[in-house]
Order: sequence, then C-alpha cells, then structure tokens
Amino acid sequence: MTEQVDRRADATRLQILQAAAHQFATRPYSQVNLDDILASADVTKGALYFHFRSKHALATAVIEHRAEHGWTEFQQLSTRGLSGLETMIDVAYLTAGSDIGEAQARAGLNLLESIGRFDGLQAKLLDVWVIGFAAMTRRAIEEGDVADRVDPEHAARLLVSMYLGLRQTSNLDEPETYIGDLESVWMLVLPGIANPERLAYFAGFIRRRSALAIKNAVPLRANNL
Amino acid sequence: MVRQARSEATRRRIIDSAIDLINEIGYPASGLADIIERAELTKGALYYHFESKEAVATAIIEEGMDTILDAFRSAGRPSSPAMENIVLGLFVVADAIKADSVAQAACRLLRTFGGFNPAAKAAYGILQDDLAERVTSAVEQGDLRSDVDAEAVVATVLASTLGAELVSSALSDGRDLRHRFALNLEILLPAIVAEESLGYYREFLARQSIRISPSKPQDGLTPRRTTAAP
Repeated sequence: MTEQVDRRADATRLQILQAAAHQFATRPYSQVNLDDILASADVTKGALYFHFRSKHALATAVIEHRAEHGWTEFQQLSTRGLSGLETMIDVAYLTAGSDIGEAQARAGLNLLESIGRFDGLQAKLLDVWVIGFAAMTRRAIEEGDVADRVDPEHAARLLVSMYLGLRQTSNLDEPETYIGDLESVWMLVLPGIANPERLAYFAGFIRRRSALAIKNAVPLRANNL
Repeated sequence: MVRQARSEATRRRIIDSAIDLINEIGYPASGLADIIERAELTKGALYYHFESKEAVATAIIEEGMDTILDAFRSAGRPSSPAMENIVLGLFVVADAIKADSVAQAACRLLRTFGGFNPAAKAAYGILQDDLAERVTSAVEQGDLRSDVDAEAVVATVLASTLGAELVSSALSDGRDLRHRFALNLEILLPAIVAEESLGYYREFLARQSIRISPSKPQDGLTPRRTTAAP
C-alpha cells in the first residue's frame, strides 16, 4: 500500500517539476509565481507545499533534476563508441538541442544563472561538468586528437564556460542562429586544443552536427503554445 | 510467486546450457539429451518449458537478436549523420557479439536455420529494415552517391556484414570480427559515399578501425588507449 502511495507522490512531484520548468523556462525567476505553476500542474496547494517549501526550493529542484538527467545522457554518450573529443562535441550539441527545445533543460540552465550563484549550487554542478570534460579531454589526448600540451582541466573549464556564456550572448529562441554561433565558437577553439592533423576531420565532424541540429531543432516557444 | 521464480530459473538454465553447447559444438551436434545433461535437469523439466530442440533455438535467437538490434539502434542518434550511424552501428554490433554468448549463439543459429525458422527469418528481415531506414536517411542527408541505388546499398552492406560474421566465426572463432567489418567498409565506402564526403567517412572509419573494443560501460570516464588493428 505504501509503495502505491510513494509512486503517486513521485508522480505528483514530477508533475510539479515539469509545470515549474515550463514557467521558469520562459519567464524571469522573479516573475514566476506558484499560482501559475499550480494551475498548469493540476495539483493542490497542499501537494505542492508537501514537496516544495518555497519557490526557491522548487527552483533548486528543477536545477538538480535536470542536472541529473544531463549527467546520465553524458555517461550514455561516453560509452557510445566515439572518441573523447567527438563525445565532447556531441555533448555540446546535445546540450544545445535540449536548451533550444526542452523546457526542463532551458529552465535548469536559466535558473543556474539566476539563483545558483549564492547557494554554491552553480559551483557544485559546474564542477561536476568540468571534471567530466577534463576526463574526456585526457582521453582525447591519449587518442591523439587533443595536443598533449593542453591542460585537461583548463580545456574543460574553457569549454564549459564557452557554452554557458554562449547562451547569454546568442539567442536560444533562434535555433539556426544559436547553432551557427555554437559552431563558430567551436571552430575557433579547435585549433587551440586539437592536434593540427586532426583539424580538418573535426571541422567536418562539427559541421555535420550543425546541419542536423538545425534540421532537428524545435524552438521552445513553438512547442510551448 | 516462489514457484514462478523457480520455473523461470529452470528455463534460464536450459537456455544457458543450450547456448554453451551451441557455442562449443554447434547446434546440429547438440542433442536435447546433451542439454538436459548439461543443465542437470530432467527430461520432464525441459519439455515443460520447450516442446522441441527448435523451440529452444527460437528462444535463443529472439534473445540474441534483441541484444544485437539494441546495439545497432542505440549506436545511432538523430544528431549524427546516418552514414556515421551505419558505420558506428556495425562496430558496436561487432562488440556486442564478441561480448555476449547469447548473441554469438544466436548468430550461429541464424546461419544454421536460414529461412527455415520463423524467428531467424524475421531477424534477417528486421536487420534489413533497420539498415534500409538508415540508408534512406543517408540519401536524404546527401551522403550517398547520386548514381547508386539505395536498395543495392542495403543489400550489399547486409550481405557483406553477415558474410563477415560467418567467415570470422569459422576462421578466427569470432576474434577478428571488428577487423573484417572494417575491411568490408574500406572497400564499400568509395562505392557508396558521395565524393565530397568520402574523405571524411574514410577517416571516420579509420578512427573506428583502430579503436579496441570498449570494455564494460565506463565509470568516471577513465581514458583508454587505442591499439593497432589485429
């Protein structure tokens, strides 16, 4: 009996998170209110407060929920059979695709910027990403794609920073522009980390991902209506 | 509940024993009596689960094919070019076969039965369909030569893949499967891939060729070394 209750509670929690993500993805944190989330989640106020004590707690949960999902995808990609650098590029494009078209991803990353700085949340999550990318970079060095003069942690920090900065300076609501900008920054960074004889290959690798990403992109506002 | 679990365990023992025997001495030479002996069960126990030797084979084919198809399908992503998904898919399948005795046994059984077992026949059909889907995408993405017929591409890739598996199994006990897939693709790529993409896919293939099979799913993404092909 308790198992059934637990499952229902989990389902409700998920419903709330999804409804919250839709709000946080398209509005500034300060302008989101719990009543809007309640309305679209179709749960009672009591249920909401049972799971989340405050808007801040809810926002934190959205960030962490998405971070967990993103990490799982990262792990799956890393066992796919591609090389370290190929995997990192794939992760970047996967992240971009989700950021463009999925409320959970957009909300998670938006909130990381809005509220993540002061609870150490940003630091905690981004450290995980930097560690993951650093490990990937080490692999890429062993595989001969990345030059062995490159410091894995510096490269990882650069690539993570690059993505986070790009979503501020480019426009996620215009997929073609955003993907184009993602390609440009990667093409610029590539000669700084890749071995010269691999550059032509990776340029092709990146361009092919861009073409497909643009083709497959469904912007958030379009499917949010 | 307990009875169900015990029953499932018995069924599992039958299948595992049959798999071992098929991989050791082949299907034709493996009799029901051998399976019963290896599984340390009674004739009654086996017949409760399977009405014939072929029924055991069918179960193994289905299980093994699930693994192989899963490998091929999960290797491909909509965010990667279809031609990459074809090449990568074949290598991932090679790794899956090498790592899984059920898949190995299923491959042997596919060859043994051909079209005479419904599960085997269906398996060949599914492989062809999955490949066709990717080839169609590759055509749409402009990676295939315009003067080549998609059907011919599917037929050739499928035939050479199945053939490589057969030869690899016969001559090296499956050890050089990745290498044989690589050799096939080396010859096929210029015939299939559009000229402007050929250099890229040659390098994509070369990179796959020199990777060793990945071990179990990685944990903290520990780096692996690549070695030369066998």
